[in-house]
Amino acid sequence: MQRALTKTLADIMPALGLLLITIAYLTVAYQYSPALRAFPVMVAWSMIALLALDLVARTPTKLGRAVTRWLNPASAAAETTHINRRDLVAVLWVAGFVTALVLVGVPCAVLLFVFASARWRGKRSYAVSLLLAVATMMVIWLLFTQLLRIELYPGILLGGA
Amino acid sequence: MLDVWLGAIQGLLQPRELMFLGLGMVIGLLFGAVPGLGGSTALALLMPLTYGLEPISALALSGGVMGAVPMGGSITAILLNTPGTAPNAATCLDGYPLAQQGKAGLAIGAAASANAIGGIIGTLSVLAVLPLAKKLVLLFGPPEFFLLAMFGLVTTAMAARGKLLRGLITGGLGLMISFIGYNEVVGGERFTFGIDYLWDGVHLVPALIGLFAVAEMINLSVRGGTVSKDAAAVKITSMADGLLETFKHWRTVLRGSLIGTVVGAIPGVGGVVASFLSYSMTVQASKNPESFGKGNIQGVIAPEAAINAKDGSALIPTLAFGIPGGAEMAVFLGILVLHGLQPGPMMLTQNQTEIYGLVWALTLSCLLASFIGLLFVRPLAMVTLVDSRILVPLVLCIAMVGSYAIDANIGNVILTGVFGVLGYLMIRYDYPRLTVVIALVLGGTAERNFHQSLMISDGHYSVFFTRSISLALIVLIVAWLTWPLANSLLRNGKPGLLQEGS
Repeated sequence: MQRALTKTLADIMPALGLLLITIAYLTVAYQYSPALRAFPVMVAWSMIALLALDLVARTPTKLGRAVTRWLNPASAAAETTHINRRDLVAVLWVAGFVTALVLVGVPCAVLLFVFASARWRGKRSYAVSLLLAVATMMVIWLLFTQLLRIELYPGILLGGA
Repeated sequence: MLDVWLGAIQGLLQPRELMFLGLGMVIGLLFGAVPGLGGSTALALLMPLTYGLEPISALALSGGVMGAVPMGGSITAILLNTPGTAPNAATCLDGYPLAQQGKAGLAIGAAASANAIGGIIGTLSVLAVLPLAKKLVLLFGPPEFFLLAMFGLVTTAMAARGKLLRGLITGGLGLMISFIGYNEVVGGERFTFGIDYLWDGVHLVPALIGLFAVAEMINLSVRGGTVSKDAAAVKITSMADGLLETFKHWRTVLRGSLIGTVVGAIPGVGGVVASFLSYSMTVQASKNPESFGKGNIQGVIAPEAAINAKDGSALIPTLAFGIPGGAEMAVFLGILVLHGLQPGPMMLTQNQTEIYGLVWALTLSCLLASFIGLLFVRPLAMVTLVDSRILVPLVLCIAMVGSYAIDANIGNVILTGVFGVLGYLMIRYDYPRLTVVIALVLGGTAERNFHQSLMISDGHYSVFFTRSISLALIVLIVAWLTWPLANSLLRNGKPGLLQEGS
């Protein structure tokens, strides 16, 4: 029973999350002038109606199955997969790279990211990882700084704005 | 008209432009050959790099990529049973059995020539239709453009095979995001929460890089490993026979090209529908239908001709109305905007040299990429043996630095990261990303034309129903939206029993 409830909750999470975001969006939209909010409000109310249908479609009821078969037949066939540790790790690597780019700038972040990825995720030796990191940075420097004349971002900690 | 065509060819046949065309073709072949990357990722990555280029050079580069991606995709579809791009999936059905029989060269040769001929037919159709589109587009006012944008969104959601509801939801999400920033028609900023960077709205290019390049890289990183486990599978035999097979089956090439041309011109329907429709019609027309799926060469020729023909005709809604035909065209539209070219009626009259330059670039790319593809079959197939844990950080670095380089703004990098995670969540939870992209592109146009329509009608919504083209578009939108229910009723006599995958 508890497992079924957990599965249903996990199934409705994406639609529920989007619904909450849309309600927050609508609340903010109503603070603008009537002309400024006209179209966003129209779209947000349509979204709420669609998300309500999506929520119904995700419930194990007769109506839910009917809505799925009518409007989302492919999703019924697709296996539902949920976020796990592998997903989180992959997303955190990207988040870490973006944070490094902002804080320490492009040259340091690229060197660090490629080296760390090759060494700890790719299980390459220190020498190969370092070589890959330096080669990638060289390509970026040649492409952006030399060819396109774009100064690479130095990072907030190193004087970037 | 002939002057414009010749001027465009002359502009394209300069050493610099030919160099960019060649570079685009190599990149297109490479990205087409690696499953999961594809044309939209290649264009998204290249977009910031085109910033410093002349528009014609940028269009040559983009044309090279778009023309070459299908050829790259067909190589892995035939050799590894792994379609490089989604439309190439139809090629797997007979291409891979041919490869298993030791006839990979025959299949690749046939795919290359079908690609080239299909591409030429597709671009010829653009040349024929664009002058007519110019006249048609002048009949459109703000209500028509608003409804056309809505129609584009609905058809794109419909095209998300079996996921209409989720397509509409992500379309709505894209529209909501597109309203962020300063509104020029009404005057006033919305949803910026005090962040100066968002005053200009969500920047399209970093968002596209995130949704495609970064999201695909996160996905690849989670999947891990290499695309192909077996280096021995990358084996090629004689290809010349395959080239001849295409001419022997000229009816199949012609049928596939025509299907690709018609399907490509409908916004959002895209290459998958074109290739599978062409395949199934070829099976139906065959005297020997049971041979398909077991290594019939026509099963390779039909989808490949349709895929490349579709690319040319997909330019028609993109250039004439600013409604991208698919994800690749949406990213390409971003490149046009980046270079100050605003698709729509004005572009058709003011940027003819660029438009026809692009058409010729696509034609040349389809032709040359097929031959270059044949030369580089082996190294291209080897790309699928690169470890994803090495490929992912390299592509991510180029994507992020490219995003920053658009206007040297670190805010772009953060936006790319945010959209990368959003795109990955959409892949994970099976929500189509294409409708978000189309909505991001069309959101501003839709809202501007919505307000202008109400201005010319003194605030009366009747303006959308009293003009013939508007009314026709409303009927089309309603018809598209009610089609799944009507189809279900027709098939089963009661709603809610639509067959899966139909």
